[in-house]
Order: sequence, then structure tokens, then C-alpha cells
Amino acid sequence: MKAIQVKQVGGPEAMEVVEIPLPQPKANEAVVKLAASGVNFVDVYFREGRYKAALPFVLGQEGAGVVTEVGAETKSVKVGDRVAWTGLQGSYAEYAAVPAERLVPIPQRVSEQQAAAAMLQGMTAHYLSHDTYPLKQGETALVHAGAGGVGLLLVQMAHNIGARVIATVSTEEKAKLARGAGAHEVILYSQADFEAETKRLTGGKGVDVVYDSVGKTTFEKGLNVLRPRGMMVLFGGSSGAVPPFDLVALSQKGSLYVTRPTLVNYITTREELVARSGAVFSMMATGKLQLRIEYTYPLAEAQQAHRDLEGRKTTGKLLLIP
Amino acid sequence: MKAIRVQQTGGPEVMELAEVPLPQPKPVEAVVKVSVAGVNSIDGYFRDGRFRTPLPFIPGQEGAGVVTAVGAQTKTVKVGDRVAWSGVLGSYAEFVVSPEEHLVPVPASIGDEQAAASMVHGLTAHYLVSDAHKLKTGETALVHAAAGGVGLLLVQMARAIGARVIGTVSSEEKAQLARQAGADEVIVFTKHDFEAEVKRLTDGKGVEVVYDGVGKATFDKNLNVMRLRGMLVLYGMSSGPVLPVDPAKLSEKGSLYMARTTLAHFTATREELLARTSALFRMIAEGKLKLRIAKTYPLADAPQAHRDMEARKVAGKLLLIP
Repeated sequence: MKAIQVKQVGGPEAMEVVEIPLPQPKANEAVVKLAASGVNFVDVYFREGRYKAALPFVLGQEGAGVVTEVGAETKSVKVGDRVAWTGLQGSYAEYAAVPAERLVPIPQRVSEQQAAAAMLQGMTAHYLSHDTYPLKQGETALVHAGAGGVGLLLVQMAHNIGARVIATVSTEEKAKLARGAGAHEVILYSQADFEAETKRLTGGKGVDVVYDSVGKTTFEKGLNVLRPRGMMVLFGGSSGAVPPFDLVALSQKGSLYVTRPTLVNYITTREELVARSGAVFSMMATGKLQLRIEYTYPLAEAQQAHRDLEGRKTTGKLLLIP
Repeated sequence: MKAIRVQQTGGPEVMELAEVPLPQPKPVEAVVKVSVAGVNSIDGYFRDGRFRTPLPFIPGQEGAGVVTAVGAQTKTVKVGDRVAWSGVLGSYAEFVVSPEEHLVPVPASIGDEQAAASMVHGLTAHYLVSDAHKLKTGETALVHAAAGGVGLLLVQMARAIGARVIGTVSSEEKAQLARQAGADEVIVFTKHDFEAEVKRLTDGKGVEVVYDGVGKATFDKNLNVMRLRGMLVLYGMSSGPVLPVDPAKLSEKGSLYMARTTLAHFTATREELLARTSALFRMIAEGKLKLRIAKTYPLADAPQAHRDMEARKVAGKLLLIP
């Protein structure tokens, strides 16, 4: 089968199309023929060597397809099932062997491409808005990078809950996307100070929660726009890691809460994984959650997909089609 | 009137008994004859200059007594009302003047000593279990300094909710007090490592919440004894301020939450102050919350009260009687 392999870490050119043997399922695994593989920043980190994997390895953390073979002890899936997964290396390929417990069923009204696109970002937006800080109707959320991959989904989910959403974006084009997703207010942070704007938009009261995947450049000001007892949810660091901060700031600024969640801690059991993916798929099937699949690339063009992603000009999901 | 006055910050000896003019109420203030003033660690911070206020000043933040004069525009209190308060500097005196909004009515079922003893510690324990982290039946809470002023009340309230309580204390004598208050497990941290003990007592799972008024000495280990997505509520720092925190630690240790809280943010509106106080007084009147008054001193003995408090040998509340 064809796969994208990294033999030595480096730039996009480190990814090669190779012919490797079809994977065989272990007792608790299933082999899936991939219909689509999601492209994520985590793939870039593995390709560059910032995150470590034993060389050589097949890239890719997210995919969807059809089960073609199952191991002797698998119970939750059978040949022919449409499934999706995230968090396991090796999805940039025609086939992948995946532990059955990590595979979730795709409902009829969701396509495999949509499912692949939703696993990481969709479930992230879901745990952020439903568990890390369960948003309530009438509350106000500030969503940084409101037109980013997670951002666009988070804005929609928050909007559907009935919360007021203030989003920050970098360009007019992205502002339009965030508004289209349901953001009530959009701040172009390149043109206006988001701290002053958020205070103005909330009549000085501040927001109930800040969802921040930007990190270094937004964290401090984010604390200034929270209402007393509000929560800072830091879930990424696209501008760099937030340096150690003084806890006194949290009490002085109003008995604030800080958390730094990661998806893996919100899909720890099979039940939780199935429930969360099921909730996201059902939002998609009923039209409540629109995914923006911006580009699809043939598997062999993985290098171009990474160049586009790293160029930060994309606003939606990139998929590889084996 | 007689009052304790601080003309220069320093040790307990800087508190002198002085004759000062009777305070006069502004339009929205009331003058209260102080029956009992509570002694709190914050009084020590003002006395030694860690917290700043213009000199000279009368220390003390908490008390109970009877209204003797009211300003022209007061609406909620009248002469003769029995009231209690916290957060009003100047309570170590025969009379204190307070904005009327800080004064809460004391029901007939509550004595002056009980009212004065419960304002800071009782309201703190109440907001910790009911709001900072809303404790639920079946959850496990770790309470540091479980025989301390807040600790003994926190343990009782947590037990009344139906939570399992693990307390830490410094001595066997304090362990007994914490057990009497209802702690299911007590760790004498001078003899046993609390991290290892909490892990053992929770079968490696950790606790849902840590209530910590200790700060620096306990912080790092706290992060190791919390279950996935657990909450650390820091409400004080008797061992010194916590060093700056790297938010990445919160994700590494399991998508943890952290808050640094102060009472003022949990009694911010008149409605909240009254609701919290009446809930507290009801628990005391019904015998569900036992206050431990360790010692009462004449007003002139304030320096001795501070010495006793700072030696950390007393378990329970210290009161001054003007």
C-alpha cells in the first residue's frame, strides 16, 4: 500500500510517498481502508521532530474509512463498518491498523470526509464548550482565533448553546467567517485592542470565559477581560507558550480560574469517546454544525498540504485523500 | 473610646491600647458598639506591613455588636440592631464605623461571640464548598490545615454535603480535632508524606478538589494528588506565596483547574453577602456547624492574641472583648 513516511525529521520535503506492506491486525485491532486523513499542526510537530516518534514512521493522527479486516478478539467493530479515530499515528496511508476501542462509528448522514475532519477539532470544541467550562445560555464567551479550525466550531457550538460570542480574528476575511459561524461581535485584533474592545462590548463587566489557543500574546490581557470568578481556558499556544505566571494576579483580578486542558483527558474512557464523537456527529447530521473543509489533496501531495497549513493562510480543514 | 492603635508597623508589640475619639457616621454609615472582635491572620499582615494601610490605624476586620448611631441616609440598619461584619478595618475598638452595606443582621438564636467568630472563617468555608468548587456528594476533598480556623469549618461543611474528607494537620492533637469535625481520614504531614498518603487513600485516583490555605509548601504536591480534571482552590498562603506557575504543568498533570480566591469576590453584592451569612447562621443555629472558640482576650491583650495566633499552637478562633 501507499503511505507517507518520514525517514528523517525536517521540512515538508521530509515526507515521502513509499510502498509498504499492508498492516495486519493484532488481536484487538481492526484494519481500516482510509477514505480521508485529517491534516493537523501536531503532524507538523512530529515531522519537524519537535514531538518525537521512532523513525521511520507514517504520519497522521486522524482519519476515517471502512473496516476491511478485524483481529481475533475485536468485538466493537466488524468488516464493513464506517469508522473514525484520532490520536494514533499512521493515518497518512491507504490503510491503518487501529485498536478497536479507539474506533468510533460514523452515522449514516455523516460522510467519511466530514468525520475525518471533525474528530480532533470537533471533539476539542465540544469538550471546551460542554465540559471544561460548560457554557450556559446568556453567558458571554471570548473566543480567540475565532476563524481557526477549532475556533469556527467553538463559535457555532457556543452560539447554539445560546451564549453571546465575541471572537478575535486577524483579517476582514476571517471576521466574515467568524460572523458566519455565529459570532455576535468580532474584534480585528490587528486593528483594535481586544482588551479595550471586550470591556466596551461587555459594559465593563467582562466575559464569563476566555477560550484561548493563542497563548503567549493573549494570556495576560485575557485575564483582564474576565468577570470576577471567570475562567481562562488555555488550550493551545500558537503564538508561543505562556510563561509561568503569578497566582496573585488571579486573586487581584477577581478570584479567577485557569485551566490548561488537552483532548486526551476528555476522551479517557471508551464511553466518553463514543459519547463525545456521537454528540459531534449528531450536530453535523442535523445541520447544527457546519464543517469547513477548505482543501482536499491527493495523499501524494502531503508536502503541499503542510506548506499550506504552515503558511497560516488556510481557514478551514485540510484533508488528504488516499 | 478605647482602641488598639498601630502607629508603626512591626511585631505584636506595636499594638497599643489608646484613647481615641468616638467615630461619627457618614450619611450611609453606622456606628456599632463592638461586643466581640475576631482575630484573623490578615490582621497580622496589616500589623507587620505586608498589607498596606495609612498610619496610624486601628486593626481588626471582623466583629459583632449593636448599632448605636446611624447616618442620615442609612436604610438597612437602625439604632439597637444586632449586627456582624467582616472586611471593616478598625474592629479592635469599643466602637467601629462601617458602611451599612457591610453590616448583616444577627438572628436572636446566634450569640455575639458566635457571630463574630464565624464571619471571616465561616463565610470563607461556605464559599469554598458551595461556589469556588461546588462540592458534591461522593466527591473526595483534600483539606489542608484541617484543624485551622477555616479548616475545621470546611471539614464540617464538606461532610454535611456528603463528601469524603481527607485532612492534613501538623500534630496528633490537631488530628483529633479534625476527626471530631468529621474528617474521614487525617494525615499528620509532619510524620507522613501527604502525597503518598492521599494516593494510597484514593487508590491512586486522586481527589476531586484540594482546598489549600497553606500555599508555597503544599503547591507542587497538590498537583500530584488531584484526579483528572481536578480543581485546586488556593484561598490563602500561610506558608508563603506560591512561586509563578507554568500553565503547561496543568495539562501534563491531567487538564487540571486552579483558582486563587478571596472572600471579597464571593460577597461582592449585598444579596450574596446576606444569602451567605444567613445560610451560615442557620447551620450554626441548627447545630450543624460547631464553632471552636479557642480563647477570648480583653481588648488590651491584643498583642498576646497575635503572639498566640502566630505561634500556630491554637486550634480555633481567637476573640477580643472590648
